[in-house]
Amino acid sequence: MSLPAGAPATSTGLEEHPSWLRRLWLAGPYGWNQALTKPYVLIPFFLLAATAPFITQYFVDTYSWTGGEFWVRILVTCAMYASLALALNLVVGYAGLLNLGFIAFFGIGSYAYALVASDQLNQHFPLGWALLAVVGTSIAFALIVGVPALRLRGDYLAILTLAFGLIMQELTLDLDRPPVLAGHQFGPDSLNITGGTEGIHLVDPFRLPAWFPLIHGTALQSRSYYWIALGFLALTVFVMLRWRNTRTGRAWIAIREDELAARAMGINIFKYRLLAFTGSAIIAGIVGMMNAAYLHNAFPGNYDIQQTVFVYIMVILGGLGSIPGAVIGATFVTVVPFLLQQAVFAKFVIFSLILILLMIFRPEGLLGTVSIRPRKTLGGTLELFTAEPEAAGDAGVPSLGESAAELESTTGAIVDPPAPSTP
Amino acid sequence: MDYFLHNFPQQFLNGLETGSLYALIALGYTLVYGILEMLNFAHGDVFMVGGFLGAGVALLLIHGGVAGLPPVLIVLLMMLIAMGGAGLLGIGIERFAYRPLRNANRLAPLITAVGVSLFLESVVAWRVSPAPVAIPSDALVPARVVTVGVLSTPVMGLILVLVSIGLMVALDRFIFATQFGSAMRATAQDREAATFMGIDVDRVIVVTFLIGSALAGMAGVLFGLRFATVNFFMGYLLGIKAFTAAVIGGIGNIRGAMFGGLLLGVIESLAGGFISTTFQNTIAFLLLVVVLMVRPQGLFGQPVQDRA
Amino acid sequence: MSDRPSVLEIAGLHKRFGGLTAVDNLSLTVREGEIISLVGPNGAGKTTVFNLISGLIPASQGSVRLLGRELRGLPAHRITHAGIARTFQNIRVFPQMTVRENILIGTHHWTHSGMLGAATFWPGAVRAEREASREVATAIALFKDRLQPRLDDPAFSLSYANRRRTEIARALASRPKLLLLDEPAAGMNPYERLEIAGLIRAMRDGGLTILLIEHHMPLVMEISDRVVVMDHGQKIAEGLPREVHEDPKVVEAYLGRRALSH
Repeated sequence: MSLPAGAPATSTGLEEHPSWLRRLWLAGPYGWNQALTKPYVLIPFFLLAATAPFITQYFVDTYSWTGGEFWVRILVTCAMYASLALALNLVVGYAGLLNLGFIAFFGIGSYAYALVASDQLNQHFPLGWALLAVVGTSIAFALIVGVPALRLRGDYLAILTLAFGLIMQELTLDLDRPPVLAGHQFGPDSLNITGGTEGIHLVDPFRLPAWFPLIHGTALQSRSYYWIALGFLALTVFVMLRWRNTRTGRAWIAIREDELAARAMGINIFKYRLLAFTGSAIIAGIVGMMNAAYLHNAFPGNYDIQQTVFVYIMVILGGLGSIPGAVIGATFVTVVPFLLQQAVFAKFVIFSLILILLMIFRPEGLLGTVSIRPRKTLGGTLELFTAEPEAAGDAGVPSLGESAAELESTTGAIVDPPAPSTP
Repeated sequence: MDYFLHNFPQQFLNGLETGSLYALIALGYTLVYGILEMLNFAHGDVFMVGGFLGAGVALLLIHGGVAGLPPVLIVLLMMLIAMGGAGLLGIGIERFAYRPLRNANRLAPLITAVGVSLFLESVVAWRVSPAPVAIPSDALVPARVVTVGVLSTPVMGLILVLVSIGLMVALDRFIFATQFGSAMRATAQDREAATFMGIDVDRVIVVTFLIGSALAGMAGVLFGLRFATVNFFMGYLLGIKAFTAAVIGGIGNIRGAMFGGLLLGVIESLAGGFISTTFQNTIAFLLLVVVLMVRPQGLFGQPVQDRA
Repeated sequence: MSDRPSVLEIAGLHKRFGGLTAVDNLSLTVREGEIISLVGPNGAGKTTVFNLISGLIPASQGSVRLLGRELRGLPAHRITHAGIARTFQNIRVFPQMTVRENILIGTHHWTHSGMLGAATFWPGAVRAEREASREVATAIALFKDRLQPRLDDPAFSLSYANRRRTEIARALASRPKLLLLDEPAAGMNPYERLEIAGLIRAMRDGGLTILLIEHHMPLVMEISDRVVVMDHGQKIAEGLPREVHEDPKVVEAYLGRRALSH
């Protein structure tokens, strides 16, 4: 395990050969993330996680724990939220975009699947085609929202994505009957697309092809869904690590660290932000699909803003920019309320408070590598330099990083980048 | 067409009513944005808390046995306590949640604000009431409906509009005709330069939050009296709409926020009356999207400088 | 010298910021293999010129041609792709990324490894990644032993000089035709300055054309083929280092009119 040779020396300077644990501690979040994402850590972790249902079953049988189903449900929820947290980490932690309407993509995924795999529209796509439909829908919506949104500055992008989420929720609630606009009815009387407040019922469970290992056939047990969700989580972790260690991930991190320098080094900021935004939408959409299949339902509640805030809490707690952090954060935020059995609102109170305190005292969370703390002045000459809008198609949205200082304007411009100060 | 002409004035008037509420709340957004360049996501919930404070006062005084208090006094107390309480809440939020992050990355306080918003909503839902709380408006405000020609509005509606306009005029005078107001405007233009001029920027920020939140608190009471109910989620929806109004008028521009609020109220009312009530909210949100895409600086805001 | 092809042709370059003219009708030709120094008092507009060339700010008027191709109006990332790399006055390495990763960013614009390719271990992508890794060794070749031991250290932990080297290596990794160095010797001690001088010459010998901004006059005199002097956005002198050094306009710009009477 290679550790930065430049890691700060110990205070006494007397430790000639610090133990590997101490070196790991000194390596800081960067080193911890590297360590936690090594194959020899991840593979055992996922193998162990796969046996979790058996472990809980054992405890249920031996020690009369309440309801085996209850525990598997926690596991399934946990695995799904972990993937969601990774998706949010991708769009917020890597691309630096505050997507406040994030959960809308989860909802879109669940409804997209429900529409192609239920009686609502009388479509019953097999799994492969349904997956394609969900991914396609996610990409479409990501582009519809992302392309215009990425032209806006950070806080306005946040509001736009929020508005998008709200619109999706409204439409979902209102399209259980033909829309009536200005007295004209659009569509036949029997038009019912989204099932309104009821949602869509009797959504098909997953039917895996026979060649699929272990869990082929109709997935009926909760356990099967847990393994599916866990498998997807593993896949997501794998893909994100691949991105992190190749050109794409490096570009994202460069944009986040210093957008100006990234542009100067030939990185197309707009394209990479859009890629992250879309990737995040696809992941969230697939999780939505799994959710709909698991619960045999798609609900308008899937679009609730509280869900978005929850995933944010997971990511901030675990640490922005950290893959293991997102998983840890998700586990904590999912499992703890289950265990404590709080009333719904009490849960919200506690977690929103945690978020606030985190932002004030430790915004990088546990393993975060993104610096969103108040800037210390860097010393030396202030950069007497500003960036202005470039040729169309290139967005200069400020990223989470030190260069945000240079790109900020005092005139409150909304479309990026801000007006220059006098040089 | 007849239908349109016949109903237009009434819808317009209704729109002015809701628009006044939007304007009051929008002012809070715009004031804070002008000075801190921060979108105070929790502002809508301050409005909600104001409404609950007013409701609390009303219920306490009416049912609590302080018999025989004239309704006017009760309403006044509601307003005072709501404004004061909301103002203090706003100051508290600024002090504890936003100030530590003042020099941090732009997006950090936004995340915190989202947390504060959820916090306020859930605290009220948990400790006060998850269900809507009814306010005995009938006992406080004459329930009569005033009719002038084709227009009619309940008395409370009139009061709402008049009080709102009164407050807006007062604010306008304060910002543009007093010394502290010019200090506020200076800070909004250039925070650093303001400190060089001897302006206590922290003080200005506190007062900004105080005023914005107090206005939102008043809006809460007015809402509660007009619609005879408050619920923990009302801040969220109205907050977004008021924010839309602020953006339409030009975020950071005070008169823009007032105008934007009234405009949005009218547009929404007309849309609801003539297009569809079901999709009223959707139309309002779509308007926000359109404004952000087509003219992000709003009606009165500074266009993005392209000093070629 | 003038028989060599021109690499960069700036004509009538003009930049206004509201009422302020930062760059006033600048024209300049840089020929292949030249080392040209852009000098002038603070605020003369030198860094603005760099920003204009590299596309980080749009020009109000004028043209910038690289090997005959018009660059004005192109977004920064396409200008880099056309063959221009730069360093910054106050070193902008990516602090949380390792030296290696910083240098790899330089290879970004010419490697073909996308999201899908990386995720699926597509052979084309794998090859591209390997090619980029090999470039790291080439990029730090000029620094010999300085950066090699630090390749896997995060950039924030490096010394000032090493960060400067990393930034230069990163620029080299983008295989530019023209290199813009913004005050490469700033903050360096005499030994390091010597190294920088040697470095710049070595890069030129390796086929690069170099345009640099520098304040340290002896260094400028020593390595430049030509010197261009700017003041208040305008070019006030251009020529061989010796010529420019004695030009009264230049002396005046730096030291004020009184200095001339000495």
